[in-house]
This record gives sequence, C-alpha cells and structure tokens, in this order.
Amino acid sequence: MPLLRRLTSLLGPSQAARELQWIKKHALQARLSVEDLVDRRMRDEPLQYILGTQPFGPLDIRVRAPVLIPRPETEHWTIKLSEAVSPTPAKPFRLLDIGTGTGCIPLLLCHLWPKGSVSACGVDVSDDALTLSRENAKAHGFERGPVDLELRNTFQAVRANILDPAFTTSVDPPYDVVTSNPPYIPFHEYLDLPRSVSRFEDPKALFGGPMDGLDFYPAIVKVLTQDGFMNRNGIVALEIGHQQGEDVHKILKQTGKFKEISIWNDPWGKQRTVFAKM
Amino acid sequence: MSTPEDIASLRILKETEPLREAWERYTKCNETLDDTRALLDDPDETMRSMASEEYNSVQEEVEELVTDTLPALLIPPSPTGNLGALIELKAGVGGAESCLFVVDLLRMYQRFLENSDYKYTMVSTNEIEQGGIRDALMEVSAPGAYDLLRWESGVHRVQRVPHTEASGRVHTSTVAVIVLPLVTEQEAQSQQLYRMEDVRIEVMRARGAGGQHVNKTESAVRLTHVPSGITVSMQDERSQHQNRRRAFQVLQARLMDQKVVRDMADKRAAKNNLVSGVDRSDKIRTYNYAQERVTDHRIGLSLMNLSSVLEGDGLGNFLTALQKNYRESLMEQMLQGN
Ligand SMILES: C[S@@+](CC[C@H](N)C(=O)[O-])C[C@H]1O[C@@H](n2cnc3c(N)ncnc32)[C@H](O)[C@@H]1O
Repeated sequence: MPLLRRLTSLLGPSQAARELQWIKKHALQARLSVEDLVDRRMRDEPLQYILGTQPFGPLDIRVRAPVLIPRPETEHWTIKLSEAVSPTPAKPFRLLDIGTGTGCIPLLLCHLWPKGSVSACGVDVSDDALTLSRENAKAHGFERGPVDLELRNTFQAVRANILDPAFTTSVDPPYDVVTSNPPYIPFHEYLDLPRSVSRFEDPKALFGGPMDGLDFYPAIVKVLTQDGFMNRNGIVALEIGHQQGEDVHKILKQTGKFKEISIWNDPWGKQRTVFAKM
Repeated sequence: MSTPEDIASLRILKETEPLREAWERYTKCNETLDDTRALLDDPDETMRSMASEEYNSVQEEVEELVTDTLPALLIPPSPTGNLGALIELKAGVGGAESCLFVVDLLRMYQRFLENSDYKYTMVSTNEIEQGGIRDALMEVSAPGAYDLLRWESGVHRVQRVPHTEASGRVHTSTVAVIVLPLVTEQEAQSQQLYRMEDVRIEVMRARGAGGQHVNKTESAVRLTHVPSGITVSMQDERSQHQNRRRAFQVLQARLMDQKVVRDMADKRAAKNNLVSGVDRSDKIRTYNYAQERVTDHRIGLSLMNLSSVLEGDGLGNFLTALQKNYRESLMEQMLQGN
C-alpha cells in the first residue's frame, strides 16, 4: 500500500500528508528509509521520537523516548511567561524548573530573556531526562562552564525528587522564578490515553496520583513557601491538567503567601497555567 | 512616445537640476538638427557629407536622451524596490493536470532563481496523491525580488496533452500565480499595515484534554484580519509558533500587496494594461506545448522556445520585456501630465 494511504488510515488525510512530508525530509537528511520511519509511525510511535526533535518556540529541542515530548500548550505559556516578567543583566533571575524533562521550559527562557539575565536549574528524577536536558543545553549553548566570563544565560541539570522531604538540600535557593509542568494525569484518565502517549512516554512523567492527579502541587507549593526559598516578589508558573484550575488555585491560595494568583488559558481555550506572584 | 508634443509636456514636470540640464541639451540638439537639416541638401558634396555626419550623431544623442537619460531622471525610484517576494501558486481549472502544471511552473521559478543567484525557501507545498501539487508558497527574501517578479501575478494557462490522456486530446488548464511583497515585521509596523487587535488568531481542530494527554502534532494556525476579511492558514511547520510566524508573514504580504495596488490606483496607473492586470483573474500567459510556444498576452510577446522558458532561462526574457513595458508606461503617464 502506498505510504500516504497507510498513514491516512491512522491519521486522516491532511495530517497524514503533512507528517509524510516531515518524515520524508528527515529521512533524506538522516539517510534513513522512509518506509522504516512510516512503519514506526504505524506502530503508534510519536512523530517527534521518529524525527528526534520538537520545535519549541524558535528552538529545536532534542527528544528521545521515554522523556516527555514538549507540548504546544507548554510552549505557549512559556513564551507568555517570558513576556510577563523580564529580568535584566543588572537584575538577573535565578530560576528553578521542577521536572524539567527535555529542559524545554528553562532553555526557551534562557533563549528569550536577555543575555546574562538568568541562571537556571532544572531538576528531575529521571536519568534519561537529566542526560537529555544536558544535551539540549549544550546544543543551544547554555551549559554551565567552569568559569563563565562572557555574559550569558546558563542551565544546569540536577537530580532531585520534589516529593522527598529533603528536596531543598539538593537545590540552591533562593530563586526568583519557579516553573513546573509536573505529572498531572489522574488514574482514570491514564487508562484512556492514546497509545502513542501511554506506550512511549514515561509513566513517571505523566501520572499525577491515583485520585485527582494533584499529588505534585501541594509538594511544590510546600517547598517554595518555605522561608528563604523564594526571593521577594517571587514568580511561580505551574502547568495544570484541563480540569485542575480551581483545585490548584485553591492549593496556592490557602497558603496565604501569594499576592496575586491568575489562571492562563491555552490556545485551545483550556485552563492551562496557574501564574502567581509572591 | 517621443513625439515633440509629448516631450513638450515635460515642462509640466517639476524642474530639477539634472533634469533641466538634460532638457536644455535636448532643446539644443533639436536646434542643431533644424540648422543641419537645411544643409543636408547643400550643393557642395563635402558640406553635405559633413552635415549628414553631424545630423546622425546629434540624432543619436537625442535618441539616448529620450530613451534613457530623461526616463531615468523622471521615473521615481520604485517604492517597493527593496522588498523580497512571496510567490504563491495555486492549481486552477483542469484538476490533476493543473496540479502537474503547478510542479512545472514551480520548477521554472526555482531554476530561474538558482540561475540568477537568488536564494529561495519553500514555505509550504500541498501535494496530491496522484503526483502534482495543489498549492505552493515560496519565499524569496532578497531585496528587489518583488519588483523583479511582480508581473508574474495572474493566470497562467497550459495547453497540452496530459500524461493521463489516452486519446491524445489537448487539454487546457490553468494555474494562478500571485507574487506578494514581503515585508519585515518592523516595516509592517512602520507602514501601519494592521493593528494587532484587529487580528484574530485561531488554532485549528479540537485537542481534547490537551497538554500531557496528547502528543499528536496539532500546529495549524489561522489568522483573520477582521477589517479586510483576509484569512491566512498555515500548517506546514511543526510548531504553532513557527506556523504563527509564517502566517503573519503572509498576512503582512497580503496587506502590503493591497496597499501597493491602492497606491498604484491612486496614481491612476491603472490605465496601463499591465498594471490593470493586477486583476488576478486575467489570463496573462499561455504555454502551448504542441507549438513549443509561450505567449505573454499583455505585451503580445511570444517565445518559440517553451523548453527554455520552463527551464528558467527563457523566463528572463519575459521579465525584462515586462519591466521595460512598465517603465515605458510610467513614462507615458508622466508625459500625459498625470
Ligand atoms: C510532564 S513531564 C514535564 C517535562 C518538561 N518540563 C516539559 O514540560 O516538557 C514531568 C517531569 O517530571 C519528572 N518527575 C516525575 N516525578 C518527579 C519527582 N518526584 N521529582 C522531580 N521530577 C519528577 C518526570 O521525570 C518528567 O520529566
């Protein structure tokens, strides 16, 4: 059967035509067989793993199973965050990204914010993620050198578990900005995920807890409301699942430590990000 | 266009220093011609031949003044002279055969651009399964590309026996070409082409729960410029961000195009058939395979070497002729005192 027709049976005509174009282009550059790549796609492997990259803002982020593929919703709010607050070399930010995966969020901020205005730390429990985020930092010129003489933004990957009571000792507070796209899918929704997600992406990157998928938010909020963890006027941006806006808003509000809490919608009209100022 | 009456109306034009000099030289030359003319019939042979020599050389100078020097001084520099171009090709009448002709035209432009050292990028191509392209968009960002290619806009018609036609019957199909002026973000702002609040940005298709639940690539974006009703959809790039950037680029080009057309109409340049060919539904060129002939209907130029045109070399002849025709028509308008 022709390749386009095979892909159409999986993806519908217009998506199939586009994906085939991207696959062909990649096959040509990487000297791979288009047929093999299409076979992989027909077995539900995500296109992004097949192509090895995902554009995220103007950056091309390397992706590799099982590290979570950066989503367009995350791209959207990260760009919005970069416009909502902006550091300067005179008033640089220290940024912490919890569950950094490919490193996409801090790396895009490193790219968008002025040179020498941010030093970012991404933490994760997954070795695959730590390795990949370091590769990405290097590919975009943000890896931290032994001595940094020129003005630049840097990223460092550190192993740390946000659910571990000793989390704070693994990182180096205080921070000005904390970002996180923590796992937020509840168990009952986990069972209905498309195969390209559930079979290829790390369950530890997706599963947010048996009941409502909200296990990570209280843990994150607890850490960053500890005395001395955030600098004055600290900023927090947390990605949330499609029905978690109210709950996460409440978790933050209860602490009484935030001056302002708002919820940002994604381009598809779903509540997607809780943005708060301390 | 070089009759004395027309030239006389040059006086209407604002005088500039180089223009006055050229004008004075022109008047002087005419006087010399008048004086010499009487001597052309002189009984003395030496006198006659001297006069004829002088007459010819002065006449040459007049020719040059009229065809090169004066027009160059009179035609203002093109306001779009520094712009790049977006070339859009769309299959028209003729179904799959028309899609095949899109491929041929696309190749013609690519060859031509490669031969003339212009870099281009394919922004999008929409292939159909039987082979052929339904529509395509290419970017030629080098300054000057727009002025070079702008007269390609219009309906291109092909007459040939399609590969698929068993009976050997000749089909006529069409492809619409639109060349748009490429403007940068800053230019768009400084020209005040649009206000951000007038642009509606939509993402296409539902994404269910979205976020971590979905890893399908849904990057299509549609922009609507509400005041003009222009919509642009872009889906060839793998990210929202890239598609949005591309879509804005096309929207800006469309709006700039409208502005260029408006400005031209304001200058009443629309009298000229080339410029009024801005009506993009007009058929501007025919590619006849059986006769190996390409005809541009606006300037009545036929080239008997279809293969060379489609290989990109012959296209330059059309572009040059069209450019010349445009300059001449600009001159004519000025001489008419517009
Ligand atoms: C939804 S992914 C987000 C990845 C990336 N930030 C992005 O937006 O594409 C969640 C990430 O959190 C990491 N993670 C899971 N449990 C964690 C924990 N207890 N502590 C730190 N990171 C954790 C996973 O390995 C995964 O990389």
